[in-house]
Amino acid sequence: MRTGDYKQTYGELVALVDSPPVWLWSAVLVLALIAAPHVLNSYALSLLTVILITATGALGLNILTGYTGLISLGHVGFLVTGAYAYAVLVAKYQMHPLIGLLGAGVVPAAASLVVGAPSLRLKGLYLAITTLAFSFIINTAILEMRWLTNGARGISVQRPQMFGVSFDGDAAFTYLCLAIATLTLFATLNIRRSRVGRAFVAIRDNDTAARVMGINLHAYKLLAFVTSAFITGIAGALYGLYLSFVSVEGFPFLLSIEALAILIVGGLGSALGAVLGTILIGLLPEATRIILGLFSAQMDALFTTGAQELKSMLYGLVIILFLRFQPRGLVGAWHDIRRTWVHWPLRY
Amino acid sequence: MIRHPAFAALLLSTACLAACLAARPARAADPGITDTEILIGDVEPLTGPPALLGVAASIGHKIAIAEANAAGGINGRKIKYVLEDDGYVTARTIQGVKKVIDVDKVFAMLGISGSGQSIAVMPVLEKAGIPTVIDVAPVKFLWEPPRKNVFVIGQSYEEGIIHLVNYLADKNPGKKWGLITQDDDYGVTVRDGFDSVVKAKKLNVVYSGNYKKGQQDFSSDMLQLKESGAEVFLAGGIIAENIAMMKELEKLGVKPVTGIFWPGRIEPVLKLMGPAGDGIYAVDYVEPFAGAAGKAFLDKAKPLVSEAEFKGINRYTMTGYAAAKVLIAAIERCGKEPSWACTIAELEKTKDVATGVMAPISFGPGVRFSNQKLQIMQADTATLSFKPVN
Repeated sequence: MRTGDYKQTYGELVALVDSPPVWLWSAVLVLALIAAPHVLNSYALSLLTVILITATGALGLNILTGYTGLISLGHVGFLVTGAYAYAVLVAKYQMHPLIGLLGAGVVPAAASLVVGAPSLRLKGLYLAITTLAFSFIINTAILEMRWLTNGARGISVQRPQMFGVSFDGDAAFTYLCLAIATLTLFATLNIRRSRVGRAFVAIRDNDTAARVMGINLHAYKLLAFVTSAFITGIAGALYGLYLSFVSVEGFPFLLSIEALAILIVGGLGSALGAVLGTILIGLLPEATRIILGLFSAQMDALFTTGAQELKSMLYGLVIILFLRFQPRGLVGAWHDIRRTWVHWPLRY
Repeated sequence: MIRHPAFAALLLSTACLAACLAARPARAADPGITDTEILIGDVEPLTGPPALLGVAASIGHKIAIAEANAAGGINGRKIKYVLEDDGYVTARTIQGVKKVIDVDKVFAMLGISGSGQSIAVMPVLEKAGIPTVIDVAPVKFLWEPPRKNVFVIGQSYEEGIIHLVNYLADKNPGKKWGLITQDDDYGVTVRDGFDSVVKAKKLNVVYSGNYKKGQQDFSSDMLQLKESGAEVFLAGGIIAENIAMMKELEKLGVKPVTGIFWPGRIEPVLKLMGPAGDGIYAVDYVEPFAGAAGKAFLDKAKPLVSEAEFKGINRYTMTGYAAAKVLIAAIERCGKEPSWACTIAELEKTKDVATGVMAPISFGPGVRFSNQKLQIMQADTATLSFKPVN
């Protein structure tokens, strides 16, 4: 009888997944996601699209905050920079959308060096405030650089056409977001189990000890910022394409807070946690509305007309409940369930 | 024994997916219409500070719908209003519009939220082809180029500002001018309109400021305005900003001739400004509540809405009312079997439809903007109202 998951070799320890069945279920999940655009209505598809874009951004933030332990309150700055980089390159200078997507990663990555540099001397709350200030500076810079960004008027963006495939339709655009989210997931999982990822985690756990072990704090902290900003910038470009209109107003500060909430609820430092957190935060209002609607039409109407206030309250409530009862987040809960499942009726 | 909980989760989600698929109803040719009901959808900011406009506009829609329902509905079908909150967040406006179109399956749309939000949902509306009448934030992008199914009631911000500045310039020849605008799309539009008149009339602008959206303290801006010696002032704020500016000017003991724009022309603003707001000029395309048309509208609205809703009435209620009247009239003209194509064709044929809250509304072939007539009005703090001056 199997009594637990034991890692007997180093290879097993750094394997991408636990076992072949996990590969199988992951493949089935991907197949289900591929089928989804054909069976979901436009509204459900838009929810799925936003979840995929948010998951990409959350995975980007997870590298910085989850893996490396550097708190960022200004990630919306990278998001908006990525969206504008794509819009300027593609809509304004008619460049190929692939160059636009690359630019959406590279420009925020370059900008992250500006905010990353102070991180070498700042920690915790001080770093968080620095990143927050960065997001305000970015917004002001975008508004002032009218010759490039159209200032407050924003830039309209069309969904791309690449390699003879038009991503204009909702289903096609969802596939694009799915492909990028999947690539990002694999990339972050691989980063986590590489030398770089272990260095990030070492810095998060104790940066003095990490330095003693020979980890170059400056280089790795900057690398964390650059990698995180690159991924977040691409998520920003996708978000801009989803909105079809890129303006500073479309990227409110609240997005930074939502991203942190996703990591807390999902489980800090886990790629799976970032994905699960995104799904929960993304679907929580809709699920609540459906459940409440089953009991009373009035409750459903209340949720419809006061949706945003109730959503904010729900987010707050969920974060408090997770911090109090499940600080390891959804991924922690998942590990508990899995352990209970395998060991039952034994406790350990 | 199932060792992997993932397998159980997968089974469960597959079952849910199958159930969802089975539950999907067959889509009719034009949704939102049954033998007894017609559904009209709307997405507005109903929470947060912009709720002041979103709630008021939705009350306007409700008044027109209640009025039509009281008269027997549209050719015997009662109108049901489906309202969704977007919190003034663009991504949520898109989701809200998709929800009311695809899940609630409405027949037509009214609204929709702010200018940026309307612009962002334009591809969704165009793709869906649903008849839509926009009434909250008329910006040129919404009707240039004209979209087959999207009609806009109102007047452009640029025209409004040009009308107001021209009026103030003619009334105050040779005076020194001051202007302050918000650092967003709205502010840019106000500035562009202002600049075009400055050039044409060679106005002497001695102060030109720009403030960050959400700014609360205007002490230094107003001090600069005072020191510049401006005698005519265009306050380019919306609500809280204009109140703060006027209070600050009152504190500084100066009272330039002041003009404000219609997004901030709501009666509660006058109460909050107090004496500082007396005599300020405003431009708008809807009737002031102090006039005969405004009073008649309030009398009509009172029995049709709740007490709380009645208190929430402002100029956006009138724009919402007018849009809903035009849409309902178009659907009605389609007879017993209205369709999207017929409704769009009838909206296009809209000619001098009187709503009682603004000048008669007309569209036409390739014309999707009603281009409403503007009027100047002046604040009277004694009655907390705006009164027409021309």
